[in-house]
Amino acid sequence: MKKNLKYAFILLSICAVCAFALGWTNSVTAPVIAQAELENETRALEAVSNGWTVGGQQRVASVPFVQYSLPLTEAGQTKGYIVGLKGAGYAGELTMVASYTLQGEMLFAKMLTNSETPGLGKKSEREGYMDMFKGTGSAKAVPTTKDMLAASDASAVSGSSVTFMAIGKAIQGGSEYVKTLGGSK
Amino acid sequence: MKQNHMKELTKGFFEQNPVFVIALGLCPVLGVSSQVSNAIGMTAGVFFVLLFSNIIISLLRNVIPGSIHIPAYIVVIASLVTVTEMVMHAFVPAVYNALGVFLPLIVVNCIILGRAEAFASKNSTFDSALDAIGMSIGFGLALTLIAVIRELFGSGTITLFPIGGFSGVIPIPWFYDNPVRVLSLAPGAFLVMGFLKAFFAWKSSRKKVK
Repeated sequence: MKKNLKYAFILLSICAVCAFALGWTNSVTAPVIAQAELENETRALEAVSNGWTVGGQQRVASVPFVQYSLPLTEAGQTKGYIVGLKGAGYAGELTMVASYTLQGEMLFAKMLTNSETPGLGKKSEREGYMDMFKGTGSAKAVPTTKDMLAASDASAVSGSSVTFMAIGKAIQGGSEYVKTLGGSK
Repeated sequence: MKQNHMKELTKGFFEQNPVFVIALGLCPVLGVSSQVSNAIGMTAGVFFVLLFSNIIISLLRNVIPGSIHIPAYIVVIASLVTVTEMVMHAFVPAVYNALGVFLPLIVVNCIILGRAEAFASKNSTFDSALDAIGMSIGFGLALTLIAVIRELFGSGTITLFPIGGFSGVIPIPWFYDNPVRVLSLAPGAFLVMGFLKAFFAWKSSRKKVK
């Protein structure tokens, strides 16, 4: 009994010291991480805005893949929307932003966060990866399977089909959502 | 530095290389070796965790009873990995993003627990720190060698970290136009690992014969 209590006390002490160290590290790093994520999101919104003015963010609930939307305007006229999207990647949730015309055609997209496998799904962060979805969603269907891609694009997503499909489905979900908004809002 | 201290430091480089000789930590080696930058980032993470876990466990070696040493080590290692993860996320987000799921998986990297169990729990703090430094360097050399071969032949590039206007990706002429794609995929990791392990086994067997 005494021995067990001693063991429990030793483990408790180690856990307490570790918990304190983790808490302190978190208090130092959390504000830096939050600031970096905010800057990253602002940069991403600017990158996908197509030069139009980005409006205020509106939360969207119970629409698959869609988290929020922001209107894109030019001279007071709504030209399109930026949609905050989320999808289920290979190693967990991935978040991104994509801009659309009022007809639901995707203009630009940028990955925000993901936990995909380095060298495989992580390729989705690379410049040019989202180009394979450009111009889709209205007249042209959003590619959600590899056989909908050109041969050169299909080899680029080789080994990361789950990530590619997650992005495709999220972009398609965003496109469907924007079509319901039209130019009325 | 005494000769035995020097031996603790250098044994991990080649003689007891954790990857090619002891065959520890193969999962991250196979997983992140598709790019040189990932290999460097993973080496940095393993270096930090291994150094501090060896030091802490060596300091506590007379305090932690044998019957609870595994849970105690795991708590220490998991905390160090989480600290590494938070610090990398905050201050080197590019490396944090590049390593993805492999960073938290350092907790289950056999090198960390293996060295804690086999070395740090039985030796002085100074020797344990030297062992950690040597093993980390050995791990880094092996991982970087595999990554260079896989990325050079598989993609025709060498990816380092982006600095200012430099994107971090260096295309290597000829290799860039003639990539052996399989090397950048998962089977390529096993192939390169297998050939290098065979090479190291052949080298060490030749040494023994001499």
